[in-house]
Amino acid sequence: MSEEQTHSIDISAMQRSQQALNIEDETVCLSVKDLHLYYGEKEALKGVDMVIPEKKVTAFIGPSGCGKSTLLRCFNRMNDLVDSCRITGEINLHDSNIYAKGTDVAELRRRVGMVFQKPNPFPKSIYENVAYGLRIQGINKKRVIDETVEWALRSAALWDEVKDRLHESALGMSGGQQQRLVIARTVAVKPEVLLLDEPASALDPISTLKIEELIHELKNDFTIAIVTHNMQQAARVSDYTAFMYMGDLIEFGDTNTLFTNPSKQQTEDYITGRYG
Amino acid sequence: MKMEKKSVSEWVRSGDPWVWLNAGAVAISVIMVVGLLLLIAVRGLSHFWPADVVQSTYSLPGETPYTVTAERVESVDVTSAQLREAGINLPDEGDKLLQRTLLKMGNRDVYGADFGWVIDQYISDSQTPEMLFTAERHEWGNLYGYVKSVKENGQVVSETQDITPTDSALATWAAFEKSIERATEIHHEIKEIEKADIGKINYALERIRLEQRRLELNDDLTPEAEADLAAERAIYDAEYKGLQQQLAALYQQINRDTFTVQVMDGTVHEMQVSKIVHAFRPNAMGVVEKMGFYFVKVWDFLSGEPREANTEGGVFPAIFGTVMMVLLMTVLVTPFGVVAAVYLREYATQGLITRIIRIAVNNLAGVPSIVYGVFGLGFFIYFLGSGIDQAFFPEALPSPTFGTGGLMWASITLALLTVPVVIVATEEGLSRIPRNVREGSLALGATKAETLWRVVLPMASPAIMTGVILAVARAAGEVAPLMLVGVVKLAPTLPLDGNYPFIHLDQKFMHLGFHIYDVGFQSPNVEAARPLVYATALLLVMVIALLNFSAVTIRNHLREKYKSLEM
Repeated sequence: MSEEQTHSIDISAMQRSQQALNIEDETVCLSVKDLHLYYGEKEALKGVDMVIPEKKVTAFIGPSGCGKSTLLRCFNRMNDLVDSCRITGEINLHDSNIYAKGTDVAELRRRVGMVFQKPNPFPKSIYENVAYGLRIQGINKKRVIDETVEWALRSAALWDEVKDRLHESALGMSGGQQQRLVIARTVAVKPEVLLLDEPASALDPISTLKIEELIHELKNDFTIAIVTHNMQQAARVSDYTAFMYMGDLIEFGDTNTLFTNPSKQQTEDYITGRYG
Repeated sequence: MKMEKKSVSEWVRSGDPWVWLNAGAVAISVIMVVGLLLLIAVRGLSHFWPADVVQSTYSLPGETPYTVTAERVESVDVTSAQLREAGINLPDEGDKLLQRTLLKMGNRDVYGADFGWVIDQYISDSQTPEMLFTAERHEWGNLYGYVKSVKENGQVVSETQDITPTDSALATWAAFEKSIERATEIHHEIKEIEKADIGKINYALERIRLEQRRLELNDDLTPEAEADLAAERAIYDAEYKGLQQQLAALYQQINRDTFTVQVMDGTVHEMQVSKIVHAFRPNAMGVVEKMGFYFVKVWDFLSGEPREANTEGGVFPAIFGTVMMVLLMTVLVTPFGVVAAVYLREYATQGLITRIIRIAVNNLAGVPSIVYGVFGLGFFIYFLGSGIDQAFFPEALPSPTFGTGGLMWASITLALLTVPVVIVATEEGLSRIPRNVREGSLALGATKAETLWRVVLPMASPAIMTGVILAVARAAGEVAPLMLVGVVKLAPTLPLDGNYPFIHLDQKFMHLGFHIYDVGFQSPNVEAARPLVYATALLLVMVIALLNFSAVTIRNHLREKYKSLEM
């Protein structure tokens, strides 16, 4: 992360309140080109083209089954785990196609981390949960791990709550804490992109608020893509929003414009609650 | 009438009959298990109680009365007709039920048989004389009688004419007890030398013989090597000679004392004190004393070695063999079953072939165990074992090393027998690990294998332990296949000892299950062996329960650790 980039983000954050963001000005982190995805015979994504800008929050909204989670799971190739799944098209992460032959999927997933809908801590201690990704990478120096664990827990705004019980089981934490632990665990391996798949949908309103604040903090360091059911949440946390419907990307633009002045009728119908 | 009908149908609808049926099924199971355990516990444990020895007069009609001194074993009712058919001369009083009692009279060397039936109504004049003693012997079973004198080197040191507790009788008894104590000490010394020291020398000599044979087979037997081996052998031979002399001296000492005993027909016999294991006067013992003695005998049973074709003495080698075999089996079956289950569940493409394999695995659990025994004998012992012998132990041929039944083959055979259980339980456990935990690990850049090792298998470990528990329970109780692959009725040494390599996987071993079969059904002295069958059965059940209990404890610990995620 260079000085200059940090600087430019500060400016764009200030600009946000005054004027609309322009996707053309952003550095591209992920670009999706003509992505089709099939579950067996069923086409779940019907030719998606879009870019995910760097160090911004991009939200995906749309009714259930529209393919937003599926698209998110394409970014770190989680769909590979589904046997019947077939993909055409390409997704470039900084100009290299992640679906190219010979891609190291484990390495890709380290660079593109993911947080799931339900908190899924491992049945280990809090410390070991955060250290997990590091140990996978073969990092075993205690000092390095200690530092990273603390940094990651601080990044996830969890350090103060758990610093005295790092070696207790993570399963004893509340749902909101667990979800922040999972975010800390993901952040600990220092990915470039964070994919959040409805990270707050299983949580109570206060925990949800904490997660939203956290997203706001994290976008200084990470490119974030978030799937959410909750349009208010999308409006609150994101810079850009993509509206999807039935496997198609209907509209993609900066959040302010999309919510205040959508260019497509379908988008307007959805955000005004006429269907979905 | 109509009212009642309605209430019956209401009763059925309320679900009460269903609850009664369920509770009844549970109750019957509990009663059966508890009843069985009680039966074997009572029969087995009462064997060790130092029973009173009763002296009475037995006068069958038309025969001369005689004295019997014996322990009562059991009583049954029989018809007089049946007794008449058996050749007993009963007066003709019609057909009626008579009580008949089995007596343990001991003294097999004197009378030829040590058990006999008497008809209760012809027993008279029963008493329990205080000076009457019971002696357990190294051979010939129990001895009952009155000690008359104790001799050292043929010289009488104490003598009595009395069979009542007079001073002279008690003094002779004290001399007898002292003599037994001395003999027991020397006996231990002899055993120690024979087992430990001479055992070690024999082992070393055998090793030298094999070494020489190996050199011979490889044409490497140079005169120097031969001389080296001969020198080594000479050292052991000398050591052996020394021990031999020591033993001869001990044998002379142990055979120094003799005693005379008056048995129930009034005759007096002279016997060697060294033949006695324990001697005690049960009729003179109080309850507390008897309890103390009881625990000594139970301990002897648990820690001792069998005597007299397994009908007397302890079962320690069988306990040891059972536990060792089960542990070895567990060590073999767990990784094998887990690895197979991981492949089936995690890596294999789920399709027709996987389904067929899964069905085959499930069916393996239903194959009769003797079939596994035959397979173990044919494949492991005759094929693999003799192959191993030819490749690695040619110097020992023609006597087989691994080409015959042994601890290792028995464990492997039982591992094969129980592996389906472990596979099924592990697969079940793997399938219950939530998908999102796996994804969580993968999303952090872990490969599938890393995810399996670090997250999935630890979380599945309680299920794996369940499989192991079932496997242990099945393996510990299995006898039929073991008879083919390495269990023997009497193993001279334990499979674990002080001689390199300490664990002797090629050795044959004893097993509690087989011990029950052997003692109960292959024994020359059925009556004497019967209580031991119950005691051994109880012990086997307890060993299995203990093994299971430890496994359950481990599983609960793991469950506690990984409980979770099913929210």
